[in-house]
Parts: sequence; C-alpha cells; structure tokens
Amino acid sequence: MIQVEGLTKFYGSFKAIDRLSFHADRGEILGFLGPNGAGKTTTMRILTGYMPPSDGTAVIAGYDVIKEPLEARQRVGYLPETVPLYREMTVWQYVDYLAELYGLGRKQRLDRVGEALEMVDLLDRADSMIGNLSKGMRQRVGLAQALVHEPDVLIMDEPTIGLDPAQVREVREMIRRVGQDRTVMLSTHILSEVEQLCSRVLILHNGRIVAEDSPQTLSTRLQGSQRFVVRVGKAAPEQVAEVLKNVPGAGVVETIADGVQVTSAEGEDARPAVAAVVVGQGWDLLELKPIDLSLEDIFLQLTRDEDEFSVAVEEA
Amino acid sequence: MATVTHSLRTMWVIFKQEFSLFFVSPIVYLIGAVWLFFAGGFFALTLTGLSQFGGEPTLIPVLSPLVFLMIFIAPALTMRLVSEEVRAGTHELLFTAPVRDWEIIVGKWLAAWGVFTVFMLLTGVYAVIMIMRGNPEISLILTGYLGLWLMAGSALAIGVFSSALTQYQLVSFMVAMGVMLTLWLAELGSNLIAGSQFFTDFFSELSYIKHYQNLVQRAVIEPLDITYFVLLIVLFLFLATQVLSTRRWSA
Repeated sequence: MIQVEGLTKFYGSFKAIDRLSFHADRGEILGFLGPNGAGKTTTMRILTGYMPPSDGTAVIAGYDVIKEPLEARQRVGYLPETVPLYREMTVWQYVDYLAELYGLGRKQRLDRVGEALEMVDLLDRADSMIGNLSKGMRQRVGLAQALVHEPDVLIMDEPTIGLDPAQVREVREMIRRVGQDRTVMLSTHILSEVEQLCSRVLILHNGRIVAEDSPQTLSTRLQGSQRFVVRVGKAAPEQVAEVLKNVPGAGVVETIADGVQVTSAEGEDARPAVAAVVVGQGWDLLELKPIDLSLEDIFLQLTRDEDEFSVAVEEA
Repeated sequence: MATVTHSLRTMWVIFKQEFSLFFVSPIVYLIGAVWLFFAGGFFALTLTGLSQFGGEPTLIPVLSPLVFLMIFIAPALTMRLVSEEVRAGTHELLFTAPVRDWEIIVGKWLAAWGVFTVFMLLTGVYAVIMIMRGNPEISLILTGYLGLWLMAGSALAIGVFSSALTQYQLVSFMVAMGVMLTLWLAELGSNLIAGSQFFTDFFSELSYIKHYQNLVQRAVIEPLDITYFVLLIVLFLFLATQVLSTRRWSA
C-alpha cells in the first residue's frame, strides 16, 4: 500500500531525510518513532503530497506521489500534528467541505460525513462551532476529516500529542478501530504508544532508519541491557557496589547519589542474583527498581550498535 | 479523472467555501458599508449637479470615482484569502487534498469577485432610478459597469497575489495597494518622460487610467482595453499560484 524507495529531502543544504526505504501493507499499523527533528514530519509530508522529495520515489496504493499527485492524494487521509481547522465553521460543515474537496457527491456526503462523525463519536456535536470544542474533540474532528473520503492509507503525525490521558486512550482506541481495514502510519515519540498500537515500527534518527522491527522483538532486543537501581540499608553504596561487581550477570556497576545502578550483561537479567546477594550479606534491600529505557537511550544504543557495525565492516 | 470537469468542480467547491466565509467575518460588511456610502454620496452629488446645472443624465460621475476606490476596497476584500490559511495552517489541508494549486487560487479569486459583483449590483439601484426619472444613454451605463467590473477583477487578482506572499493580512493589504497605486500612477510617469515616445506610450498603456477611461468615461469597447484587464488578471493569478507553490518547498 505504501512503497518508499530511497526517499531523500534537503532543506537547502540540510539533509532532513536520507535515502529512506520502507513499505507498509493493508491492515498494518506502522509506527514512526523518533525524537523531534528526526524527519518524521518531512517523510509524512512527502507521502501526503504536501511537498516533493529531493530524490527517491513514494508510491501510495499504486500511484506515484510525484507523477500522479492527485490520484495519490485522493487515497490518503492525513491528520497533521496541529489539526488545521476552520474555527468559524461547524463540525459538520468542516467535514462536509473536505469531503467535497475529495470529490464526494451530495448524496454520498450525507452518508459519509455522518459515518465519519459517528466513528469518532462526534455526531451529537455536529452543529457545534469548531472554535468552541475542546482539544480532544478537535483532534477527533481532524480524524473524521482524514477518514471521510475512505482513504486506503491513513497518515497521522503525533495523533496523541497534547491530549490528557483519557483522551489519549480514546484516540488510541479509535486508531485501532480504523486501522483494521486500511494502512495506518503514525508518528510518535512515545515508546509505549508504539508498543500498544503498532504491528511494525521504524525508528528514525537524524533522517535515517536505524531500526525496523515489530515492537515486541525490538523491546526484547533492548531488554538485553536492562538497567536497575538498588538501594540498600545498613551499607554504604561504595561497599555495595564493591560486592555487586562480582555477581554473575551484572555488567556495569556504578554508584549514584544514594544507591547503586546496575546494568545487566547482554541478554541476562541480574536482578534475582543481586537481590539474593544483598539479602545474603545481611543488608536491608530497600528498593530494586528497573530504569525504563528512554527513547534517548534507545537511540544512543541503536546508533552505537550501528557505529560498531560499520567499524566491524571496515575491519573485515 | 476528466481534467476539465475536475478543475471546474474543485474551483466551485473552493468558491463556495470562500464566498460563505466572507459573510462570517464582519470585515465584509464594513467594506460593503464604505462602498455603498461612497456610491450613494457620488450619486447624490450627481443629482444635485443635474438639478442645478441641467445636462445629460449619466452615471459617469458615480462610476469613475468608484474605480479609484477599488484601490482600497480590493485589498481589503482579498487580504485574508491566502494569508489566513497559511497563518492558521489550513493550507496543509488544501495541499494534501486532490486539488491543484491554481484551482485554489482561481477559486478564491472568483469568490472575491463574486462578493464584489454583489456590491456592484447593489449600486444598480442608482442606474434604475436614473432610467426611471430621466433619459440616460443605457449603453453608456453598461460599458461603465463593464469597465468597473473588469478593473475590479484585475484589482482582486493583484490582491490575491499579495495575499499569497505573506501570512500577515496587513502586509498583504499594503502590498496590493502599493501595486495598484503604481499601476494608477504609471500615467504620471509617462508625462515625466518627455524624451522617448516609446516610454511615454509604454507607461501610458501600463496605467489603469487610460484603459478604464475608455470604457467608463468614453463608452468605447476596445479590444486593447479588454485585453489589458484580462492580461492583468491572468498574470497576477499565475504569479499567485507560483508563490503558493513555493510554500510546498519550504519547511
């Protein structure tokens, strides 16, 4: 459904994305994970026909976004990061206008606008002015707009940003529902969002894809270097660190402010052994808390892996 | 998809949207009020003149100053059209919809011209009064309105172009007014350059004054004058489209 080959975009001399290649099939929810400035929005804007790439091709539902832009755009629904709304229109008027721009006839629109609003649970607010809606509702109006012409591909840029937890849950639920019979591509910088929603994830860093995998394998792969903090009573951190260094499975052991931070060796979980040793020493185990890998850590790790890989290649 | 019907359809959708958005904002009522105030004032003066000094009843003293007034009316009508989309980010919707850039521009311009046409038709009541009470040359009234209408079309094209240049409505207003004043005053330029007949003619042809005078004041329909206004419209709508398209290239 989405076929991208060697996609490159320069802003002046700055390379925003660098030879991206990936694909997505029907029924798939593809996650685009990366920090700000990684090139997520740029990629999405090329796929939606907003801007042309500097090099490479992107094909949506069989139509090249450069050679057949109108056909390609007809098949994409797009929810930009800040939902573009006409505040002085009602919800119905707005979705109806977009439906008409996408070529839907009067009768078709009567059905489709209603269906789209029902899908995002806004039918009862159809006659409200958009300017008077809450942020979560506006996000849903944006989603209705993206869905109204029944696109094969739905592209969403940070769909849950700036929403409160209840709204986030709502929007995720909706994405899951609409993702069943089309291709969805969404960007985020929240790791757990990808885990909950996506069947496949692309990790973008400095305009390049540094990893592509299912969220499950990706997180197991990253489990390899699980870190945790140990806080102990009746012993100084330095003393504890000294002992823990010899525990099998513990890789790097460092003292931090009021405890010890242990990084498990690759592929191992040192927590049970550490707990046993601490108790065996007659100390009080006050806390043993895993540190979640932040997105930053993942990038550091992935980019480090990549560097090691390229070094290995050069040596060979 | 059949290209021509697609384009016509799309422009119609944009036209409808923009035309109805005009009447949501209070600005259009303000502009309408100013327009009708001046139109009524000029008509009253014309009637006073006729009753005191007699003469042929004609709408020329009403239409001529209204043409000049367009230099301020047109930018006020168009300043919002593209600027506001870019400021609010809604151009992202248009850029990712199956719509060509020139269809957006032409649709918006047609909406502005449509609103102006409403304004213009409202002043038709003076023509009707004059025809009922006196015996004016009707062809003179019709060519006068044709001239005003074409001049407005070109003025609004300039307005749409300057609205595409910036996301600030005030800047758009000033630029459009500047371009139009320049076109108006080109006539003065032609008087200043005494040496070269070519440049004198060039600036004179470039100026609004000469072409609208033929239509509005002398009631002559010359192909050259019609071409002048049509060319201005095509040129500025083309430029507006180019400017809008460059927004796709910037981050």
